[in-house]
Amino acid sequence: MLDWILKLISLIYPMAKRGLKKFNGGIFPKSHKDLSNHHPIVKTIMPKELALPLKQHIGIAVEPLVVVGEKVLKNQLIANTEDTSLHAPIHAPTSGTISAIEQRQLPHSSGLTGLCIIITTDGLELEIENALKIPNKVPTEPNTLKNIIYKAGIVGMGGAGFPTFAKIPNEKNKVKTIIINGAECEPFITCDDLIMQTYAKQIISGANIVANALGCNKIICGIEDNKQQAIKKMRQAVNNEKITIKSIPTIYPIGGEKQLIQEILGIEIPAGSHALNSGILVMNVSTVRAIYQAVIEGKPLTSRIVTISGTGLKKPYNTEAMLGTAFIDLIKFAKPKMKLNYRLIQGGPMMGFEVQTNQVPITKTTNCILANTPQKKTATMPCIRCGECMDACPINLLPQQLYWYSKSQEFEKTEKLNLFDCIECGCCSYVCPSNIPLVQYYRFAKAEVKKNKSEQKATSLAKLRYENKLARQEKLKVEKANRLKAKKEAIKQKSLADKDKNITATSSTPPMSAREKALAAAKKRTQQANQITPDKASPAKATPTKAATTAIAAAKKRAALKKIKQQTPNKDTIEDSKPDNRKKAIEAEKKRAALIKTKKSQE
Amino acid sequence: MINTSPFIHDNNSVQKLMFKVQLALLPALIVHVYFFGYGIVIQWLLGLITFLIVESIMLKLRNRPVLPFISDLTAVITISGIAFCIPPNSSWWLIVTAVSFALIFGKHLYGGMGYNPFNPAMLGYAFILISFPVEITQWSLPIAISGQELTFINTLQLIFTGNIPNINIDQITGATPLNSMKTGLTTGTTILQTLNLPIFDNNLPYAWTQINIAFILGGLWLLFTRAINWQYPIGFLGTIALLATIFHYIDPHTYAPASVHLFSGGIMLAAFFIITDPVTSSTTPKGKLVFAIGIGCLVYIIRNWGAFPDGISFAVLLLNMCVPFIDQYTAPRVVGYKK
Ligand code: SF4
Ligand code: SF4
Repeated sequence: MLDWILKLISLIYPMAKRGLKKFNGGIFPKSHKDLSNHHPIVKTIMPKELALPLKQHIGIAVEPLVVVGEKVLKNQLIANTEDTSLHAPIHAPTSGTISAIEQRQLPHSSGLTGLCIIITTDGLELEIENALKIPNKVPTEPNTLKNIIYKAGIVGMGGAGFPTFAKIPNEKNKVKTIIINGAECEPFITCDDLIMQTYAKQIISGANIVANALGCNKIICGIEDNKQQAIKKMRQAVNNEKITIKSIPTIYPIGGEKQLIQEILGIEIPAGSHALNSGILVMNVSTVRAIYQAVIEGKPLTSRIVTISGTGLKKPYNTEAMLGTAFIDLIKFAKPKMKLNYRLIQGGPMMGFEVQTNQVPITKTTNCILANTPQKKTATMPCIRCGECMDACPINLLPQQLYWYSKSQEFEKTEKLNLFDCIECGCCSYVCPSNIPLVQYYRFAKAEVKKNKSEQKATSLAKLRYENKLARQEKLKVEKANRLKAKKEAIKQKSLADKDKNITATSSTPPMSAREKALAAAKKRTQQANQITPDKASPAKATPTKAATTAIAAAKKRAALKKIKQQTPNKDTIEDSKPDNRKKAIEAEKKRAALIKTKKSQE
Repeated sequence: MINTSPFIHDNNSVQKLMFKVQLALLPALIVHVYFFGYGIVIQWLLGLITFLIVESIMLKLRNRPVLPFISDLTAVITISGIAFCIPPNSSWWLIVTAVSFALIFGKHLYGGMGYNPFNPAMLGYAFILISFPVEITQWSLPIAISGQELTFINTLQLIFTGNIPNINIDQITGATPLNSMKTGLTTGTTILQTLNLPIFDNNLPYAWTQINIAFILGGLWLLFTRAINWQYPIGFLGTIALLATIFHYIDPHTYAPASVHLFSGGIMLAAFFIITDPVTSSTTPKGKLVFAIGIGCLVYIIRNWGAFPDGISFAVLLLNMCVPFIDQYTAPRVVGYKK
């Protein structure tokens, strides 16, 4: 009823729509979805060459399992790693020949390069059936499901790229609610919409598979109410009462994980906690479909639906693109209105990023390629403290103050204002009448804070190491002194003993019997021995050698690491110099650590 | 620098915002001219010229590009604010002083637009209010009461020379309704008696009521287009109405009814156009309400127990000082935290 009234009011006062949802703020950008959501998904385009980056996920890069010149079949595993850190294997999207394994530019905001496997396609599509060798029955245990998902190389396809298996708990019944994210609130993007319209059945059964394996009885799929077609198709596909399809208001950023949970379940995930701790598992519709394909068809993740849209295109479309297809190959097909002398955007206009060259390949997380003709930039004015940004922020932060302190580089203050709870949704920048690129400032501040922290950590580590070294040296010194003292003592004793002898020899004391003499000598010997043994037998003497060996081992390791680093200069040097990458690296490190734990317990 | 997301914008701008505010002042301006003659138009133009000169010099001195900053229209709001506050036929140097002071000391010395803690219009007005109290209280009488309709040329003459041939100045000037009430009380006239004066019409201040209604119209449009926040008018007007009603109920002879308070002086101007200045007010939703309520209380206190007939400017300036404090204690709860 209230919704209905609000909708009525919103006809004359559009912002009344903000009252329709449960989280704070939000914005209503023009959706532009009609550019690409009318046409069915275009059949896969076969490019001449595919470039598959070895790192398309959060975690560590995998290693190639093929060599240049080798022929590969579709769905063949071509890269993986033995390492237990977070990663996802990569499979060949089509048949062909490995023509190179080399550094290429990745779809990344700062033009990062990375090792890629290049496949020259043969167009024959020779395929390995049931590449994942799945058994005949659907998994009933979380671990079986996780294993298949891991082997299929599935990662979060909404944009984050977190390996999906690592998101799933090992214990049954831990997940109480599965939320399928079909919100797709970013303007222009329609790939999830099209997936739901086209593959509703697959999504529903994929969701059922996950729910069964995890022992979960509640699945809710949230879809923005501007996708009526998708809602209809999904409702038709529902085959049991576990699943509800929920129409949610069209408000950006309702598709954010925490916002969606807030909207659908009405609960806030406490800061610093994870949805899983509240018994909630959120998955994107594309990811769920990929799970279906893996579990039922034994297909690894080698292609994905991508939206190719933008104001600069005559014929925007959606396609099932093979991973590794170059952006430019897909864009050409959409008939650009003008020469592509501007940069394409990966992702939506709110949270996506500009790629440095238009040659970069599609990865597992590319949901959209946007070709918006460049626009003249409006000048940035000083902040007028209007508070629009605050009204728009879904997290209820104080964007204006965050901006102020980021600008003046008072980073402790930004942290106090919960900088790290900012989801970089861009609502604040979008509404700012002074046109201030607020999010840019927050990204900068976040990177700086992380850098400072890691530097601090490094210095404290170095300090610790130095202190240890000092302690070790001190210990060695003491030991040396002890040894010396002992030796001296021994010598003294000996000379004393000799004196004794002399004295005995010359004194007027009654001469000892031979037996007595022998006894005395023996006594002295043991005495001497006793004085030496504590030194010889003490473990302290063993420690330095042990320490030395460990030190040598560590040094060796370091040297080895250095070597590796030198061998892959591009990756590491860039990661060291760019704060953005460093941030990612740190994140990855953290996740890796967490993953090792989960993985260990899983195995 | 890397161009990062978001790549789209809602197309709002400071300039558009300020233009809207200017537009919303138009009805009040027309009504003002109807009741008090062309004075305000001349004053406004004088203010504009002062602004152009002062602003260019200041921007030059501060090494800032003149064009984008001079065209942001924020200073024009300052001029309008002052023009509505001073007597429409007062001498030319009054508005020139006020505008110059407002722009130099209220804005540029703090680093320009966005950095000023005090509302420039109110700072400028307070300055002349303290420096030239007599000139400020010499209000023109509404045309219908004085019976003298000045031509545009006559008005110009009056503003620049201080007199017009063949017309007695005393005939066309008088005290404002608020002033009459205040002086009335000191000479033993009750409020109810003052309300019978010709400057009141149906117990409402004549001319001022109409102008204030025009302000409301413009203000409502601003609310509707989200150029201003609801917290300001609601908090401010609500507080004054509440206090006035309570005190009038207790002692109707000394305290004017709420209707007189709400429709006299620049109350509606303040409610929709002055205290809504984002730069100098609180930024948090709750803080805005606190800010508005605070000003409401102070205005009522100064009107009844202070030395000046109207205290909007002082009230605003005082609350401007409290803004950092208010902001700190009204920060919203961040999602995912307990408070
Ligand atoms: S929206 Fe922009 S101008 Fe307004 S307070 Fe926020 S940062 Fe300042
Ligand atoms: S980008 Fe951060 S500060 Fe800005 S609206 Fe989104 S969450 Fe709030």
